[in-house]
Order: sequence, then structure tokens, then C-alpha cells
Amino acid sequence: MTETTLPIINPLLCTRCSLCVTYCPEDALRMTDQGPAFNHPVTCTYCLDCEGLCPTGAIRAPLTVIWKDQSSNHN
Amino acid sequence: MTVELDQINAIPAFSSLLPETRLAISRRAFIRTLPIGNTLILEGAPAEYGYFILDGEVRALRMNPEGRIQVLARFSVGDPLNIISLLSKDQVNRATLETLSPVTLLALSAVDFSQLTSIYADFSSLLLQFFAERLTKITNLAADLSLYAVRARLARFLIELADLTPSPSGWTQDEIAAHIGSVRDVVGRLLRDFEAAGLIQRQRGQIILLDRQKLMAAAQDQDT
Repeated sequence: MTETTLPIINPLLCTRCSLCVTYCPEDALRMTDQGPAFNHPVTCTYCLDCEGLCPTGAIRAPLTVIWKDQSSNHN
Repeated sequence: MTVELDQINAIPAFSSLLPETRLAISRRAFIRTLPIGNTLILEGAPAEYGYFILDGEVRALRMNPEGRIQVLARFSVGDPLNIISLLSKDQVNRATLETLSPVTLLALSAVDFSQLTSIYADFSSLLLQFFAERLTKITNLAADLSLYAVRARLARFLIELADLTPSPSGWTQDEIAAHIGSVRDVVGRLLRDFEAAGLIQRQRGQIILLDRQKLMAAAQDQDT
């Protein structure tokens, strides 16, 4: 995982309801014909709000669980 | 269309099979690919195929009438899928299987699967080993659900995940919640509690476990 890691959007599951775009606290998303896209990727804080709001599971924000001594190898 | 023997040999557990058994599988099997987020098998539907994963990750889940899901297991390369359903008397799918990544599967029809188990004893023996592993995992899950509080189940699961090779598709909060028999909001609150107590640190896309001793203590909480 790096600072540019972003939630994964599956456009096939997206219904274009725009909940993620409306409620993103950092205004990082915009809606396109292909579904939500990151307008400002660097402002995304990976807060997981978009994933929790999405009613169809189209947004996945996966987490990796590691021990502290492994973290330097993953950054 | 038969499957190349190279693809049969790519499944680690098949290395214990006799050459003629592997050849028989290759003649009956076919390759199936699915994108991420697809339902491979639906709970309650007739069991028509069994699979072995050549690439990717799949999860098995059951859903109650209110839509709450319980993740029974996750499967990756080499794991068999739907074999319990195929060998059951009623041949009905016991769980829904969803892809967590693009997957490539070695597929066998119910008829071919049945023939292989009847004719090739080493294939049947391999399936018994898989059954024993599955039974152990399900027994452990049932014990966790009945004996430990949600906080303890989360701590135990975090330790388990960190001790394993990281899953390529990671775990979402929903998936963690489903796996430990809870809901997303509770998992989110407990993760915040763990962070405040100095047990973990959350970074972008990572949960970093800081203190094994404290987490092990949290994992023993039996106040259900």
C-alpha cells in the first residue's frame, strides 16, 4: 500500500446513484458515464466512507493486516 | 475441449495423484474464467459443477432473509469449490460463491466429478483430505462464534490475518465483519477502540498490529 492507494470501483456494479460523490468528505470523486472516478486522487484519505455508503458494493476499500515490523516492507 | 496437463499440474494438491488420474481429469475438465465481483454459484441452486482454483480468490457466504451475510471461508489457488454440494445426496449448492478477483477455474461437471470419485481412489482420498481441512475450519469458526465476544473475535482474526501471507485482494471492513459474525459499524468502532488503546495503527489501506501481547489478551475475552 502506498499514499496513492485508492478504493477500487467496479463500474459494472455501480448504479450511478452518486451517493459516494455527494458525501465524499474530501470531494475527491466525480460521476462520469463510466461510474465514479477520482477527481482529486491525492485528496482521498481512504476514510472508507464511500465504501460504506455504496448500496451495491461497487466500491471496495480493501485493508491489509500486518505486524508493525512488516510495515516498512509494505510501504 | 480437454485441459492441458500443465494446468492440471499447476494445482499443488494434484501432485499426489497418479499420472492416469491426472490424465482422466484433464480429459473431463474445462477452463472457466470470471471477472471480479461475479457470483459463481448461488446458494440453493442445483449443484452442477465442481471447481479447483487455478488463479484468483473466491469467498463462500450465506445470507439470511434480512440480507445479512456470513462469510464461511475464502479460497485461493489450489482450493476446491463446491465439492461438498456435489457429493451431497440432494446435490444443492450449500453456499454462494463470489469472486474477489478475476479468477481462472478448472471446472468439472457433476457427472464427471462423480465418475472420477468412483473410478480413481486417489482422487477420492484427496477429497477426503480437503473435507477434513474444511471441517476443522468450520468447527473452529463455530467455536469462535459461540465462545468469544465480538471484540475477541476481531482481535483473533486480525492476528490470524497478520500471521498469514497477505491476501492479494485484501479485506474490507464489511468482509471482516461478515467473517466474524458482526456488522461493519461494530468493526469500525472496535478498530477505533483498538487504535485508542495502542493495539493497532491504521494507515491508508493498512491495519498495523502494534502489540501482540495486548492483542492476544483481547483475543481471550469470553464475555459474549
